[in-house]
This record gives sequence, C-alpha cells and structure tokens, in this order.
Amino acid sequence: MDNSLKISGMEKSFWKSLLFSLPMILITFMFITGGRPNFSDPYEAIALLSVFLLVNILFFLMHFSGKTDRYRAVLFILFAFSLSYTLIRNMLEIRHSMSFSQADLLECKIPFCHLVIPMMILPAAFTKSIIFPGSIISGFANISSMVVLWITATIVLGRGFCSWGCFYGGWDDGFSRVRKKPVIKKINSLWKWMPFAVLLMVALSAALTMLPTYCDWLCPFKTVTEFEKVTSVESAAKAGVFLTLFGGLVVVLPVMTRKRTQCSFLCPLGAVNSLSNKITPFTVKIDKTACTQCFKCVEACPLYALTKEDVNAGKVSVFCSKCGKCVDACSKKAIHYGIKGIPAGTMKSFSRNLFLFVSFLFMAIFSSGAIISTLQNLLKLIF
Amino acid sequence: MTDSLILGLSSGSACLATCGMVMFPYLMAGSAGVKRIAVDLSLFLATRFIIYFILATLAWYFGQAIFTNSLVRNIVPGILYIVFAVMLVWYSIGSGKKPGCPARIVTTVNNRRFVPALFIILTKGATQGTLSQSYLAFLTFFIGSSVWFLPLPLAGKIHKREVIKNIGILATGLAGIIFMIKGLTNLIGGIVNG
Repeated sequence: MDNSLKISGMEKSFWKSLLFSLPMILITFMFITGGRPNFSDPYEAIALLSVFLLVNILFFLMHFSGKTDRYRAVLFILFAFSLSYTLIRNMLEIRHSMSFSQADLLECKIPFCHLVIPMMILPAAFTKSIIFPGSIISGFANISSMVVLWITATIVLGRGFCSWGCFYGGWDDGFSRVRKKPVIKKINSLWKWMPFAVLLMVALSAALTMLPTYCDWLCPFKTVTEFEKVTSVESAAKAGVFLTLFGGLVVVLPVMTRKRTQCSFLCPLGAVNSLSNKITPFTVKIDKTACTQCFKCVEACPLYALTKEDVNAGKVSVFCSKCGKCVDACSKKAIHYGIKGIPAGTMKSFSRNLFLFVSFLFMAIFSSGAIISTLQNLLKLIF
Repeated sequence: MTDSLILGLSSGSACLATCGMVMFPYLMAGSAGVKRIAVDLSLFLATRFIIYFILATLAWYFGQAIFTNSLVRNIVPGILYIVFAVMLVWYSIGSGKKPGCPARIVTTVNNRRFVPALFIILTKGATQGTLSQSYLAFLTFFIGSSVWFLPLPLAGKIHKREVIKNIGILATGLAGIIFMIKGLTNLIGGIVNG
C-alpha cells in the first residue's frame, strides 16, 4: 500500500515537473535552434540536440528532485570550459596564438568580457569614452550587447549573476568540487572584503589612466582566454601574475577549501554585483522558526556569504550569489529562495519556481551557443 | 600614474588613521558639525598638497644627483621598491591583527613612526625623467590618498566604519604586492637590459 502511494506520488510529481518544464522546453528550442532547425551538418545537429536535451533534463531534474545546485553546476561548469575552449580555438585559428598584438589592440579586436565593466563606469560617465579596445556594436563579444546583458541580469538576479551568468565562475566552481572534504577549513573573514579593495583600486586607476587596469595586471582568466604577447620584462611579469592568480585562486585554493576563492577574494565585478543584491527582487531567506542552527548551510556556502551570525540574525549577507547550495544542504527547508516583501517561510515553492525559471532560462540561453560550438568542434575532431 | 594612484588609495586609510584622527579628535566624540569638519578638512588637505609639492621637487632633485646612470636608475629603485613594499605588506598584516578602536591603530602607527607608502612615492619621484613627471606622481598619490578623507564630514553618520577599515587594510596589502612586482620588474629589467 505504502509503495503504491509512493509510486503514485512520484508519478504525480513527474507530470507536474514535466508540465512546469514545458515553457522552458519551448523557449530554449526557439533560442537554440533559432526557430528553424537546420540539420544539414550532422555534427551541428547532434551538438544542437544534445545541448537542448541536456538543458531541459537539468531543468526538469531541478524541479523533480527539489535540488538546485548540483544541476545548476553542471551547466555552469560546462559553460566556463566551453567558452574558454571556443575562444582559444578561435584565436588559434585566426591569430595562430593565444596572445594579442599591438595591432589587435589598435584595431579594437579584443573580445569584451563583463569583468571590465567596473572599470568602464567612471571613464564613460566623465569622458564618454569606452576604455576597452573592443568593438562597440559589431562582431563577437561586442561591448554593447555584453553590457546590456549584464545590466539586465544584475537588476533581476543581483549577485545571482555570479552563479547563473558569469562565464568564468564555472572554473573555480568546478575545482571547488574536486575534493570531498576541505583541507583548509577556516579563512579570516577579513578577506571577503578584498573584492571591494580591488574594485576601489581598479575603478579609480582606470578612470585616471583610461586603461583597463584589472585586465592589464590582475585578471587570472587571461590564462584561459588571451593575453598580451610576452615581449618585455613587464609583459613577462604580467603573464606571471596571471598564471599565479589562476593557479592559486582558481585551481589550488578552491580544491583545498571547497570554496570559490577567485569569486570570493578577487573579482571586482562580484563586489559590484554584491551591491546590486540590494535592488534585486529575489533573495535567499532564512525561516528562523524552522532553523535548528545546525549550520550546514554555513559550511556549504561556496562564497563565504553566510556566517553563523547571519543565520542567527535570520538573513543572508550581500555576498550571496543564490547558487542554491545552502538551500540544498538544509534538511529542514528553513533556508529557501524568496521574494523581497514576502515573509520567510511562506510561498517557498512559488518563489523557488519563479527564481529558477528566470535564472536558469538566462543561463541556458547565454551558455548554449558556446557549449554547442565546443561539442560540434569536439565531434569533428573525434570523427 | 596608475601605481601612484593605487599607492595613494592604499595608504589613504593609514593617513586617515594617523593624521585624520589626530587632526580631528572631535570626530570620535561626534561633537562637531558637518560644516566645521569640511572647513578643517579643506585646510588639512591643502597643507598636505603643498607638502607633497615640496617633496616632489626635493625627491626629483635628489634623484638627479644620486641616480646618475641607467643601471643605477633601475636597480636601486627596484631594491627600494621591494624593501618598502615588503614593509607595506607587513604594515597591512599588522593592522589586520589589531581590530577594534581606531585609537589603537594610531598608537601602532605612531610607535612605528614609519610610513612605507611615503618612501615608495619618494623613490618614484626621485626616478622620474622630468620634474613635471615627479609632480604628476605625487599628485596622483595625493588624489588617491585624499579619497579616504572625503566621507570624513559625514563620519558621524557612517555606520560601517569597520568595513571601510577592512577594505583599507586589504588595499594596503594589495598595493604592497603590486610594488613588490614593480620592484622585481625594475630589478630584472635593469639587470637584463644592462
């Protein structure tokens, strides 16, 4: 009797999840295929169908299982690796090198990335100049489309952008999942203010010098995208900084701590996005009446965004990227996705479904192009 | 220019802790109005500006006399940058270990009687090709360090002083690391290029 009840409950849940996934299936189909699927190239057709299926199965499972982070992470990590792969492959094809030359700089051929945005704001406001040597409206990764995407995503998701939209975050997210238990368990909480120190420095120095100083000197992801050609001691020092930061903050420390240390301790855009958490409608809420203070959520948080004090106070900090790891870790469902203005502990399911639909749709549309291109290329290489 | 600004930004919190709290003791008591603090702050910043102007001139003239050939011009500042940058990082770590009352930071800094950031900017001023470049280095240093003083008139209304202090400490450490790299670059560049 119990078993049949369980099976019928699961069946009901299955159809409910499928029904909930239908709008996602339709929208992603439109975006991934452009409304007119072209199956003339078999590799492209396989890649397209695979990504379409992957995206929708992940979304379905999120709803069916009630878990968020493990399914989000699959697409998020794939996105990061695929984008780097596609970018590097393009550069090797076109330039035969991962480094860019002075001519590329002068001709504004550098693909734009969202990490430049904090440095662009002051120069753009005061001098109406864009300090990045990229194309404004045409070509791959142009400035205007990236800025519009970022603004839209940030207004809606706040720092959720860092876990649902950033195409670099998947790197340290991926490495943070390599070990089952952390080797380094405690890091001074002072460090979580580092992105604000970096933001302060790069924003003002970029305004004064009209150069993207973060990209010039600090960005660890230059290691997996593109970098200045090593022709002098200075450019060698820059390459050394990029490699050290990538190795330290994106690979070694995430493995040792099981946390996203680059996002937590360096990224200046993360600092801006943290501030935007104040305006976004979506948030993570703590129901103090249901909380047993086991602090598993604190342990699970990959961004040092949740402390015991926050849990006791019943609210998450501005550093929260809404990845869902703490929500999944809570066996009492005391911590959940919420909407500002709605009290904690109420409308949990509605808030979660609404947030997941918006955030996952954004990630699916944003990431699918890079993943399809990577898969298509890999298929061509293998067969 | 960038590194001078970064240095100024990083040391601004220390300036605020040392000079700010000494020059404006009434800040902690919260007994002065916004207008009075704004007037006093303007005078204080104007005096600092003049002192930096004089220091930029002196540093450049001394630099011209001491750094007579290109090898010395690269290697000596490289070593000085590294030494002062290590001190800057050490200073940052030291500040991080002493949380709490800002008066305690004042005591710590005053006991050391040494500001590594000022020595770094003096080294930079001394190695500039022209006097105007030395002025520019000091000016950007001044701008960077003055940013920290701007919210001072509203000090009584700022609730997140601890956060601002933390960001300042980290910025100091970061600037130390940047100048360490700069020092190494100068040193290696000097040796490689002769």
